Parts: sequence; structure tokens; C-alpha cells
Amino acid sequence: MAADTNKKNNWRKRLLIAGLALVILLGAVYAYFATQQYGDTSKIKADYTVNALDFIREFQLDNKTANEKYADKIVAVNGRVSEIEAADTTINVKFIDTLTGSYAIFAFQQQHLAEAKTIQPGDSISIKGSCSGGIFSDILEATAISFKRSAINN
Amino acid sequence: MKKTFLFLSFLVIGTAAMAQKKTTTSATVAFDASTAIDALPKAENKTVIAAVDTKTGSVQFEATVKNFAFSNPKIQEHFNGDKWLHSDAHPKFTFKGKITDLAKANFTKDGTYTVPVSGDLTIKGVTKEVTTPATIVVKGEVLNATADFSIKLADYGITGVPIDAGKVAKEPKITVSAEFK
Repeated sequence: MAADTNKKNNWRKRLLIAGLALVILLGAVYAYFATQQYGDTSKIKADYTVNALDFIREFQLDNKTANEKYADKIVAVNGRVSEIEAADTTINVKFIDTLTGSYAIFAFQQQHLAEAKTIQPGDSISIKGSCSGGIFSDILEATAISFKRSAINN
Repeated sequence: MKKTFLFLSFLVIGTAAMAQKKTTTSATVAFDASTAIDALPKAENKTVIAAVDTKTGSVQFEATVKNFAFSNPKIQEHFNGDKWLHSDAHPKFTFKGKITDLAKANFTKDGTYTVPVSGDLTIKGVTKEVTTPATIVVKGEVLNATADFSIKLADYGITGVPIDAGKVAKEPKITVSAEFK
């Protein structure tokens, strides 16, 4: 009788330990994903390196195919800066295809905001960022290709 | 002589009409669905296309869904996923509306004006009417516009366990700001 009670208690103890271990494991997995942050884009290898005008024209030619190729990828874009535009407390950098008005625009990563403010129109530059794909703008009647978490590509 | 006069007239009228419509490709839209138990579901999109016509009061916005930048990769993935915004199928948010009482702003005089804005907000292919006050600061030729309002995620077919569990706000706050030159 006493041996049966001990066996039951042992099982309960094991179940409790297994339950606690599972809770700790799930908590650790949750904490890992919840605290994960995007890395510094300047330190990430680009999936593609492209010329700005060729890149914009690739979207104009076939938006669907270009989106499948570049969206959610790190892309380094080389070109001459067409325009700097104020965006809230910072600035965005644009390469514009002057023939069509279509453009690629770069919003910078927090740690690269200061270097973004040094960029001037006319500068030949390489910018690396996370490509969010292109949309056709009904407002501008042109293709707009957006980037987030950008950095100057040194 | 008559032809030259007509040409110049069209040029002047055309230039005036263009000056009434102001656009930017760097408006900011902030999305804040954070709650007391989760501070992560919030993001900003700083490359929003916006236009305002000071003559007709027309207001338009277009935002690339994938360009909302979250700090956390998993939340970014959920935001764009099929169950949430399904950004591959619906790549942009749009707003088409107007200032419903243009008399409340004087775009030729420096000052701060509060105007009512009403229009159609389309998210994930669902269009709902939104009405909000907006603040417009006029300084010379530059207009700075800001507005904030809330949307109900369920109105746009966005539901799920994180919302039911209180990890994502049911009615996130949307803040819009744009500088028009």
C-alpha cells in the first residue's frame, strides 16, 4: 500500500517536472522571438546589386515578376540621387526615372539616419535596403518602389 | 496674336491648376496596435504617397503595405501574412476623400487650421468610410497636415488568436503626417 503511494507520488513529481520544463521551454522560445530585432542592414550581404534606372525599368516592364524577384530581399541600388524629401523628422532618398516619373525611394534604418542627412541630390551613391516591392500609384500615375531599413552601402 | 494669347492663357490656367494640387512621396503613416501585454505590434511607413488639392479639398493617400517597418521580424511576417494584411494579394492601403468644410482653412494665409476630412479607406480589399479631424499648418507655400484616428480590424476582416488574446489591439491607432511643398 505504501509502495503504491510512493509510485504515484514519483509519477506526479515527474509529470510536474516535465510540465515545468515545457513551460520554461515555451517561455524561452517566446522570449527569443519577442526580443528578436532586425540586424544592421549595412552588415547584411545584398541578395542583388542593381543599377537604379535598370531596376526601376524592370518593375515598369513586369511589376509582378519584379516583385516576386525583389520583394523582401536586401537589394543594393547604385545610382545618382535625384531628390531628397523630408519625411517626418528625417529624410528619404529617391532615384527617379525622369522619362516616366517612376522612382525608387529609401527610408533609412534608425542607426543610419544621421548619414542619410549627409546625402545630396546629384551624389553618386549605393544604397542598400529591404525592398518592399513596387506598386502602381494612381495618384502619380507612375511606379513607386519602396525600401525600408536602408543604409549607405560602403 | 490671338493664338499666342490663347496659348498663354492655357499656360497660366494650367500652372495655377497644378499649384493647387500638392503631392509628396514621403508622408508618414504610423500603425499602433500595441497593448498592455505586448508593445511590439507597431510600425511606421515613411514612404506614403499623398496628395491634397487646396481648390477642391480632395485628399488621397497610398501606402505600400510591405513598407511598414516593425522592429521585430516575426511581427513583420505576421502583419504581411495571409491571415492579416495578405500584402502579396493587397499590396497597398488607399484613402480617397476630401476636406468636407473647406471654409475652415485658408491656404493663402499662414496659420493652423482644423478641418474635417471624410473618405474611403481601403485595406485588404475592404473599403470603409473614415471621418476624422485633421490639423493643417500653413506656412508660406508649405502645408503640414496631421491626423489620427482608429480603425476596427474586424471591419477589414482581420481577426485571429493574438487579437482575441489581447496581444494586438482590436482598434489600432493610425497617425498620418505629411508635408506638402
